[in-house]
Amino acid sequence: MIRKESFLLQTVGGENLLVPVGAQVMDTNGIITLNETAAFIWDLLEKDCTIDDLAAAIADRFEVTMEQAVSDVRSFVDKLDQNGLLE
Amino acid sequence: MSKLTDDYGTFVSKLQRIAAERCQPLSGTFELTGRCNHACSMCYISRPVSDSAAIVRELSADIWIEIARQAKDEGMLFLLLTGGEIFVLPDFFEIYRPLTGMGFLISLYTNATLVTDSIADKLAETPPHRIEVSLYGANTRTYETVTRVPGSFKRCMKGIEALVKRDINVGLKATITRQNVDELDAMQKMARHWGLPFTASWLLTRRADGMPSEIEECRLTPSEAIAIEASDPYAVEEWCGGGVVSKTDNFYCQAGRASFVIDFTGAMNVCSDFPAPGAKVPDIGFRKAWEELRRFVEGAPKLSAECLDCDVIKYCAICPAWSYLENGKMAGSVDYLCSIAHERKKRYESQK
Ligand code: SF4
Ligand code: SF4
Repeated sequence: MIRKESFLLQTVGGENLLVPVGAQVMDTNGIITLNETAAFIWDLLEKDCTIDDLAAAIADRFEVTMEQAVSDVRSFVDKLDQNGLLE
Repeated sequence: MSKLTDDYGTFVSKLQRIAAERCQPLSGTFELTGRCNHACSMCYISRPVSDSAAIVRELSADIWIEIARQAKDEGMLFLLLTGGEIFVLPDFFEIYRPLTGMGFLISLYTNATLVTDSIADKLAETPPHRIEVSLYGANTRTYETVTRVPGSFKRCMKGIEALVKRDINVGLKATITRQNVDELDAMQKMARHWGLPFTASWLLTRRADGMPSEIEECRLTPSEAIAIEASDPYAVEEWCGGGVVSKTDNFYCQAGRASFVIDFTGAMNVCSDFPAPGAKVPDIGFRKAWEELRRFVEGAPKLSAECLDCDVIKYCAICPAWSYLENGKMAGSVDYLCSIAHERKKRYESQK
């Protein structure tokens, strides 16, 4: 899976914000906030990734078990999908 | 992950606070032109559309986009495009289009009278986050008494319809003057008819460029103004909760801490009302201009002794910009604000 190009990640202090650009503004008026893990996954999704790729990167970066990482990634990816943020 | 809708205002205030602590220029205003197709007597900026001296000083689309790029590198997130009237610019979309792909939350201020179906179509392709349409009356006679342009009311209505039809996020903001104050309710009703949010402002500032202004004939009396304000529970809560002015800071807004304005010549200023320090962004670059603005704000005088001693200061919105515009120096009391503050005290303290 890969992220849509119609959002840009911006940061203000420690806040990570996904801002819709171009025509996407019509569907997503406002901003979406991401926590640190979610922002990390969003960065990785610039390239095509599988759940396992993402979970491995999360387990490595945040020192959590692979099982925990898979569950975090699945729930985040579901939310991305529901909000129309994936291609 | 959360999508911000209901608590958007609170979150934006939080971002502004964070930005101010980091001196990050989070909110920018680009005044793309000083020219307008209306000739409202209370306006603080407007020049005629054909003003050739103003036209030659306006920046090209390329320069605006380069300024935006540099501003983005320094942390700009919110961008307001305003004028004058933005749609008098033949190259408006050459400026606007590229900006919509840069990750800003863009708002537009317009009087909507130049918004044709084809302009509305172009806006709908890459919509701004919000368009605020200024409203000057609820019928042809009143609206055009303010704008002094025959046919402008009808064009405004058509412009609003065109935007609403395309589901663009529109809000109406009425500028209240002596000429239209009796139509405040009617204007509110218009907003309800379209299902649009409505705000009204009555605190009119003088022209900053020294050109003659008819502000005295337009400003509401303190009792008229505060009667309107008292019907807004948020405003009442703010004034009764301790007011806005800080006794230790000079500017109580985010100017020079998290916000800035760039005028149509490329000069970076404190706010639209106060054309200082005039740091030329196209010449020195955004970062240096922002530093100059910050130094200007830090060095501006604090409240005068008279204001510090004042027993209605919690009901007043005095700032260096007001002192400068009314009295030519950056500190000191302002008669109109004094009378407003006294009226607030009378009204709100008798309510307790
Ligand atoms: S008038 Fe004063 S308080 Fe208002 S925006 Fe300008 S500088 Fe800030
Ligand atoms: S401007 Fe007038 S009301 Fe406001 S603080 Fe100064 S003296 Fe008081």
